[in-house]
Amino acid sequence: MISLERPAVRAALRWLPAALAVTALAAFPFAVTKPYPINMGVVLFLAVLMGSAWNVLGGYAGQYSVGHAAYFGVGAYTAVLLFERHQVAPWFGLPAAMLAAVLVGVVIGGITFRLRGPYFVLASIAVAEIIRLAALHFRSFTNGAEGFVIASAPSIHLLGVELSFGTKRSFYWLTLALAVAAVLVSRAVLRARLGYLLLAIREDQDAAHSLGIGLSWNKNLALAISAALTGLAGAVFAGYTRFIDPSAAFGLDVSVRMVLVCLVGGIGRVEGPIIGAAILIPLEEVLRNPGGLETVGLLPRGSELVAFVGRWISPAHLLVDGLIMVLVILFAPEGVAGLLRRLRARRRESAAAAPSPAP
Amino acid sequence: MILLLQAILSGVLVGGVYALIGIGLTLIFGVMRVINFAHGELVMLGMYVTWLLFVKLGWDPYLSILAVAPLLFVWGAVLQTTVVNRVLDALPQNQILLTIGLGLVMSNAVMLAATSDYRLVSTSYSSASFDLGGLSVSYPLLLSFLVTVAVTVALYLFLLRTDTGQAIRATAQDRLAAQLMGIDVRRMSVLAFGLGAALAGVAGALVAPTYYIYPQVGAAFTLKAFVIVVLGGMGSVVGATLAGVLIGVTESLAAVYVASGLKELVVYVLFLVLLLVKPSGLLGKTRA
Amino acid sequence: MAPRLAHAVLVAVLSLPPLSARAAPVRLGFINSMTGPEAPIGENLTNGADLAVEDLKQRGIDVVLLKQDDGGKQQNAMSAIEQLATGEEVAAVVGPYTSASSNAVAPLAQQYEVPLLIPAAAKEELTRAGRSYVFRLNAPAHVYAASLLDAVLALGQPKTIAFVYESTDFGSSVSNAGKQLAQKKGLEIVADEAYQKGAPDYRSTLSKIKAQNPDLVFMVSYVADAILLMRQSREVGLKPQAFLGGGAGFDTAQFEAERTISNLVYSVTQWTPDTGWPGAAEFAARYQARFRKKPTYHAACAYAAVLVAGEAAAGAGGDPKKTREALARGSWTGVLGPVRFESFDGFTNQNRHVMPVVQYQDGKAQTVWPAQFAKRKAVYPFPGWK
Repeated sequence: MISLERPAVRAALRWLPAALAVTALAAFPFAVTKPYPINMGVVLFLAVLMGSAWNVLGGYAGQYSVGHAAYFGVGAYTAVLLFERHQVAPWFGLPAAMLAAVLVGVVIGGITFRLRGPYFVLASIAVAEIIRLAALHFRSFTNGAEGFVIASAPSIHLLGVELSFGTKRSFYWLTLALAVAAVLVSRAVLRARLGYLLLAIREDQDAAHSLGIGLSWNKNLALAISAALTGLAGAVFAGYTRFIDPSAAFGLDVSVRMVLVCLVGGIGRVEGPIIGAAILIPLEEVLRNPGGLETVGLLPRGSELVAFVGRWISPAHLLVDGLIMVLVILFAPEGVAGLLRRLRARRRESAAAAPSPAP
Repeated sequence: MILLLQAILSGVLVGGVYALIGIGLTLIFGVMRVINFAHGELVMLGMYVTWLLFVKLGWDPYLSILAVAPLLFVWGAVLQTTVVNRVLDALPQNQILLTIGLGLVMSNAVMLAATSDYRLVSTSYSSASFDLGGLSVSYPLLLSFLVTVAVTVALYLFLLRTDTGQAIRATAQDRLAAQLMGIDVRRMSVLAFGLGAALAGVAGALVAPTYYIYPQVGAAFTLKAFVIVVLGGMGSVVGATLAGVLIGVTESLAAVYVASGLKELVVYVLFLVLLLVKPSGLLGKTRA
Repeated sequence: MAPRLAHAVLVAVLSLPPLSARAAPVRLGFINSMTGPEAPIGENLTNGADLAVEDLKQRGIDVVLLKQDDGGKQQNAMSAIEQLATGEEVAAVVGPYTSASSNAVAPLAQQYEVPLLIPAAAKEELTRAGRSYVFRLNAPAHVYAASLLDAVLALGQPKTIAFVYESTDFGSSVSNAGKQLAQKKGLEIVADEAYQKGAPDYRSTLSKIKAQNPDLVFMVSYVADAILLMRQSREVGLKPQAFLGGGAGFDTAQFEAERTISNLVYSVTQWTPDTGWPGAAEFAARYQARFRKKPTYHAACAYAAVLVAGEAAAGAGGDPKKTREALARGSWTGVLGPVRFESFDGFTNQNRHVMPVVQYQDGKAQTVWPAQFAKRKAVYPFPGWK
């Protein structure tokens, strides 16, 4: 009998909301065929992927890198260069991108991990900048500022289904799958021994070291996972937008966005990137392109709100990014997830304090 | 040979301005241990104020310094008391993100107010230069350099000779001990941030005649300012001055002997090497 | 019962399309850099487009111009054309402004089968990819270089040339074309310096170039860099036989106004008011009266592009495929001279546009080349800085 007492049933029930959500998301493109919402979905899932990737190094291990664009860009360029110059199909290009990002990560980690706190942050920014400037300058290798425009989209055959990399829908499902995978990986890392060690390193590096936890080994492992996922995101992004150039690949705004997603959602928590992306991406898009609300039918055409936002706020929508950063750090440094946790704890406290009703 | 000397000369002159920006940043870090990633935006604000005064009132940029310095001082003090003060004890990472956010707010607010049109301050001497034994010396840059020297000397005297200055230095050395000695460390923090902002604003006013002004111009200065601060030693005014000049010269030589497109890359690589080899910088006290 | 029936009939009749309806307005997309670093120039394009919409209305063509801002970023341009082609269902798209954005948007226009009319972007490859749906009104990069070099080579015997350009799509395209042509014409390239935008100190680079003593200095830049390059050239005492300005930055009112440094600089442009093309002078006067400043060539390009696209789309009833046919086969004459999209020398749907070369003399841009447009004689060589 299916009883709530059995742990297997309880476990299945815990997974149920998430499974339902994912299924609903996967079914979405069959119900809605307009490209704009599908595009938003892709952007959202990529943000979840990137946020989860950053979280492993920044959230769990406490190594705040604000230069993760380095891995993003390396992944993007690897996939694009292999495809454009050597006609390597994305099937192989994606893993190659991940590998390249990991290799670069190991090098960067080797250089920067002996730095602490703010110095590490500054170094990570400097590294990403160096790579960006190099990509701009070595034109014969990277096409410099012109970047790459991917003219034709290849298709891959998967389980007898032809997924053309040219359609938005296939990217929607691909990025959804990757986002789910990233969240699962993130969760697995947290629950495994590695996660435990990373948290120890985050809380007090020296104490962890004195307890025999290998700093270098574990930090690099976290970095490898983080870089691999980030590089994967970069490669998929390049394939999706069909365009890459040094500022889109290595720009500081890419790095800041990754951190911001986790910050808003809750650094160090598995669901943090999901919440952060769900809040930030729609908000940013509405501010940047309020007309999108009209396209999806949420607002009627010619809406005054859209006109107002379009005229006064859109040109400086990054202002809102900045405001959010300031406000979140000042008032909710643990992100929305942290806020929710505090709320729940407070409710539990007041429930415990309240006298139980007389039988 | 002439080219080498010319490159060094240009580098020194430009380095003077970099130094001024770095000094402001090192003050802020020295006293509050705050990583101010919005420092470049403070320079940008100085540039815009200078431009406004130039366009609306016809003020010469060098004259504007008299207005820019106090205005930016007040702004810095406001930022410190309302926002930065709350994160003095937060994780350094959070401080960086907070100030990055502040920087974004400032640059985008200016963009809304003034649009991202490039602005130019064209004075009669904007492209003037004179010949010094075959070398061309940029008139506005030379003036900026001289003003920088004057400001540095004045600042140094302030920190060494006046009571307030010494109180600031004491706070920078050991915040707790200073507090125990009766120094109002909160007031020192406000002063330091205000001073740092004022210096950044003055640097902006000084370069206004030779650069172009747009809302995102600060970004180029911020990271370079950090390189200077680390190179000179966090908290050392003299160090920042020397480092600024050194960075200016490095950049200039890199542009000539490596490639124009790589001149900043060279500076950042130098930064990394420095962080690894001697993070306390040329003249700083060692601090992990 | 009867009132209800009457009511229903009334509603049914009223919801029928009116018998004497006007033709539905033509929907055109317009992608431009309205914010971002290229915004000052983008503004000219917007103004030109608006004037064209007014003129089309006077001819009985009702145009709804759907404007999208790319902020100078390729990704935004790509989103913009998607929105226009799939969401707004336009007949054609005019724009974008920058070479970079155009490069990103062209394949999408082809994919969505919506004609794209590029008004002012220089990158060669835009019309060399065999795309049937991509049209370009202005002359491409190699014409920039060819016009400048031809103008100067007719005036003297320079032997060496130095290139300074911004490391963007536009800067690289024009300078590449310039370098190839220079070699073909037997000029020796003594310097090839690409600079990063936003790092406005070129003194060392210019000193390096000065040390090579070039006869010609070829510069490519947008907006404010041009002014700074010239200012700093004066500072370091760079004195070639001629300064060749191949870029939008050398063609703005701001640059013209900086008399001490713009004097005797050559600039190649897509348009000047005194070329004698029909309506060119009137357009300039009208623009000046309306917007209180001189129009740049971008305004004229956008104006002409919207006129051409509007007419083609109206004739095709707003259908993108038919509009493409109309563009491919039509010919027009206007402020930009004769317009016809042809395929030649590896180009597809490229208008063979002639670019005049101006020289700034006494604070005014004077057309000096080619002969049929020249109003003044060019001053050569550069006499040095005052």
